[in-house]
Amino acid sequence: MTVAPDVAALVLTDVCVRFAGLKALDNVSFTVEPGSLHAVIGPNGAGKSTAFNVLCGIYTATSGSVRYGDHELTAMRPHKIARLGVARAFQNIALSKGQTVAENLMLGRHALTRAGFVSSGLRLRPATREGRRHGERVREIAAFVGLGDKFAQPAGLLSYGDQKRVEVARALACEPRLLLLDEPVAGMNSDEKVRMAGLITEVRRELGISILLVEHDMGLVMGISDRVTVLDFGKRIADGTPSEVQNDPEVVKAYLGTGEDEADA
Amino acid sequence: MSDTATRSPAQARAAPGRSPRRVRPATLARVALVIVLAVLPLYIDTSLLTIGLFTMAAVVAAIGLTVLVGTAGQLSLAHAFFLAVGGYGYAFLAGESGVAGASTAQGLGLDPLLAAILAVIAAGFAGLLFSPIASRLRGIYLGVASLSLVFIGEFCYENVRSVTGGFNGRAATPFSLFGWEFTDANTLIVAGVPFGRFEKLWELFLVVAVLSYVFAANVLRGRMGRAMRTVRDSEVAAAVMGVDVRRTKAGAFVLSSMYAGLGGVMVALAFGRLTPNYFSLALSIGFLAAIVVGGLGSIGGAAIGAFFVTAGPLLITRYSSSLPFISDSGSGGYDGGKAAALLYGLAVVLVVLFEPGGLAALGKRLAGRRPARALTPAPSTGASP
Repeated sequence: MTVAPDVAALVLTDVCVRFAGLKALDNVSFTVEPGSLHAVIGPNGAGKSTAFNVLCGIYTATSGSVRYGDHELTAMRPHKIARLGVARAFQNIALSKGQTVAENLMLGRHALTRAGFVSSGLRLRPATREGRRHGERVREIAAFVGLGDKFAQPAGLLSYGDQKRVEVARALACEPRLLLLDEPVAGMNSDEKVRMAGLITEVRRELGISILLVEHDMGLVMGISDRVTVLDFGKRIADGTPSEVQNDPEVVKAYLGTGEDEADA
Repeated sequence: MSDTATRSPAQARAAPGRSPRRVRPATLARVALVIVLAVLPLYIDTSLLTIGLFTMAAVVAAIGLTVLVGTAGQLSLAHAFFLAVGGYGYAFLAGESGVAGASTAQGLGLDPLLAAILAVIAAGFAGLLFSPIASRLRGIYLGVASLSLVFIGEFCYENVRSVTGGFNGRAATPFSLFGWEFTDANTLIVAGVPFGRFEKLWELFLVVAVLSYVFAANVLRGRMGRAMRTVRDSEVAAAVMGVDVRRTKAGAFVLSSMYAGLGGVMVALAFGRLTPNYFSLALSIGFLAAIVVGGLGSIGGAAIGAFFVTAGPLLITRYSSSLPFISDSGSGGYDGGKAAALLYGLAVVLVVLFEPGGLAALGKRLAGRRPARALTPAPSTGASP
């Protein structure tokens, strides 16, 4: 498993996010080493998705810093972050349902291509050549995630599991250096889960990129991650290898409760 | 065997969703339609020609609006304003100052072709000026904000007399291409039919409309088309995938206003005169009705919708004596205009209820190409297969 050459470390330092009185993230720090598969877990409302939204530039951190290589992400707009090679697959499928799988994947190439209104409208050579070249690459990506036969279908007509795969494929179409996967197996049946876990490990083996994974499914997380960060009520309560985290008393308490203080599910 | 082996790489090279080098029946049908339209002036009279000219102007403007509303998901009620910028812009740039006839309107006396191009650019520039607002709002909020332009426009049409000629409007200079005038002065004889102003403008408008159609279709098939559709479906997803959402929305707005401006220039040429009451809110709403009936986001749909909304009332009025239930205009009953307004109101309701993809989706379904439902955004809870 070789790490791709231009993959940088993602470093979160004391990140806080406040919504009015609520502290969604409270001094959270962790580091995603280049080429590693890092998981963030925690009960509902722990701040996992908030952390992702800060990484993508959708939320602005109240304080703290997020550095990817030499870039400070907290001050950047989302599309600029995407251009650094940070791509995200959404938890609640955010595909364009009326567009085909091909078109959804081609959107992932947006930052890698140039064609504007005029060159597309007049079908100038650079625009058509670029479209053809990237169309080929996108077809490869679709085949890689096992969607080759659904390439020309509208995304909204695919099964739930397939739509989740399109989400991942669209993120891969950005040729990311850091891939953010937001609950990639949520709502899947066990068959689909196995396929998705296989896909994630294969992406990592083939591409050598960093993957940051938010997930509820313990089996998946413990099976494939190098490192796990555990959040609860916006605070980091543990950080370590899967086996270290599994035996951490704080983690056990957050997930199972202590008996005296019933946590609601 | 070897045949398929040599052909498969070529197919793999094709842009997604398009088969290479095979003319589709739909393309053939479009080409046939254009040929029929091109020879039509040989057979129809002046009043039908005029209806055709207004319809083609409306087609161009409606294409611009469907790119903005249907593809980028940005509601605009200001389309009439941008038509006016194009129309008055052309009249001002090409017109002569101090012409006898006591008009207060001034002009720069530019070459009509140059004036038309500059008028379209002026409409785009007006769109650009509004785009800081357009790119930060969406949906109904933008619709309400854009309404302000209609009212600003209505004030300007009557009061900036040097450009607009005030309440009574102003004349628009006839078009000419490299000195060759589109007037009755130098009538050609084509196949035994005299080609005067209307016939010549018809052919010119047809070329402009076809080019506008092809350009927009190419844009929608390309990178910015995908970006606009994704911005419409989810701004967050678009941004995270590297799309500059504000820039894309601003670009859609500018493109749409340039199409409106071009439509305005065409109206000025077809009418030969511009009056403020033409560019009212009702015109904007008519265009919205056209693109909804045609199918939001579909270029062909916008063209068909524009035909219904523009040519419909005029055709019904023209043939009112031979149609049942339609009275002559001015006699107090349902004249052509009222009847047509009712009909397209009904069409909007029927489309929204039964075929949200509009006539475009209906056509596709009849042709059995793809399930019409696919075009309507499904609810975001994962649909089962």
